[in-house]
Amino acid sequence: MRIRADLDLCQGHGACAGEAPEVFSVDERESRVVVLDASPPEALRAKVLAAVKYCPTRALRIVEE
Amino acid sequence: MNRAIPRLSGGLPLLGHLLELRRDPIGLMQRCRDECGEVGELRLARQPLVMLYGEPAQEAFFRAPDEQLDQAAAYPFMKPVFGPGVVFDATPEQRKQALRNRSLRDQAMRGHAETIARETERMIAGWGDAGSVDLIDFFAELTIYTSSAALIGPEFREELGPQLVPIFKDLERGTDAIAYVNPSLPLPSFRKRDRARAQLVTFLQGIFERREREGRKAQDLFQVLRGIRNPDGSPRYDVNTITGMFISLMFAGHHTTSTTSSWALLELLRHPEWMKRVAEELDALYADGREVSHQALREIPQLESCFKETLRLHPPLILLMRKVAQPFRYGDFDVPVGATVGVSLAVSNRDPAVFREPERFDPTRYAPGREEDQHAFAWIPFGAGRHRCVGAAFAMMQVKAIFSILLRRYEFELAQPPASYRSDHSKMVVQLAQPSRVRYRRRAAEPAP
Repeated sequence: MRIRADLDLCQGHGACAGEAPEVFSVDERESRVVVLDASPPEALRAKVLAAVKYCPTRALRIVEE
Repeated sequence: MNRAIPRLSGGLPLLGHLLELRRDPIGLMQRCRDECGEVGELRLARQPLVMLYGEPAQEAFFRAPDEQLDQAAAYPFMKPVFGPGVVFDATPEQRKQALRNRSLRDQAMRGHAETIARETERMIAGWGDAGSVDLIDFFAELTIYTSSAALIGPEFREELGPQLVPIFKDLERGTDAIAYVNPSLPLPSFRKRDRARAQLVTFLQGIFERREREGRKAQDLFQVLRGIRNPDGSPRYDVNTITGMFISLMFAGHHTTSTTSSWALLELLRHPEWMKRVAEELDALYADGREVSHQALREIPQLESCFKETLRLHPPLILLMRKVAQPFRYGDFDVPVGATVGVSLAVSNRDPAVFREPERFDPTRYAPGREEDQHAFAWIPFGAGRHRCVGAAFAMMQVKAIFSILLRRYEFELAQPPASYRSDHSKMVVQLAQPSRVRYRRRAAEPAP
């Protein structure tokens, strides 16, 4: 899976970083998401799905390869 | 190819469609969609307002950068409420800085949930076994306490009392669209607005000055803001500016949450099958004695769907606007610099292209498989994009916490004819019209605390 972050939508709430800290972080200055691993291992799928689901601005998407 | 933007019929020579906006704003915005289609122009006094309808046009609106579509200049009726240097009057850089305020971040939410549960318990402590309550009076007071305690600080909250309810009401009722002509016309509602703001400034400054004099330092937003320094070491924000920020913070989370809570309870009372479902859901979730502050941060699917449906049918803001700062093009239409563009949340939330049977209260539209709220540029009670309500997650958690307490302690019933509950759209801030009374009675088998 690949992760797409839509930076037009992201406000930097950090819900994703809470769900999957291995994959997401927040740039505090810019108030937006930093994707640490755009192609995370399958083992993290459940966490990434939760991050996508709980993003308050729906800025995250998973694209299957 | 360029096409001319269709103009909406009607409108008066000097005022344009302003009086129609004050009389029946949703009717006006729907009429513009029906007559003009995806893009249509109306006029608010001298200001052209180009309305955009449907998912693709709304997406273009919400995705445009600040430099192109400017939020700050679009709401002249808010400026006298917040005062200079605050929110709608701020530069994009100042706004970004405000967003960095950590109090709305995920980690802070658990503490906020505890605060809200505590404040709700305090509000109903004197209710007794049965009685009646005006929904707007009740929720307006409660949300003044919750938003100030959570977003500013618990010490600050203790300074506040029910005397703030009429002050906020006057501020909110001062958002008359006639401000497009002139926001300081000698109208009673504007005079009340200015008096209310002056009272609030005096009140807040009294708190701040006492605190500075006594040298007390609380762990709250006031202290944080006062602590921010310019490069030369002087304080970045004076007390007057901080007062304006507090007004905007409390304002943003006040009428929106209190109106939504009121309508949610009313819709549950109009749809008893849903009230039953939600009450059963809450009883089951809390049967093991878990804390409200714990569960309010987690899923409460039936209740959440009812809130989403309430927000869809009764959005507390019905029109979002931006001022065109750089040429804005959508499809074959060019919108010139200086015009205002708008999106109607009220019209979009009932778009039959997205919502099946849009007039019906049907929370099952959010269930897995249907999920009509996944249309992020059509289901837009909180707006969308960069300027989407930063308090949306806080608001959802808040109403979940409040209803987790109310519906497990009490049963409610309408105290007026069902059709008498309605929104008052004569001001830009939508409010439930008063009276809006309901009766309550303590539940026979109150669940274990």
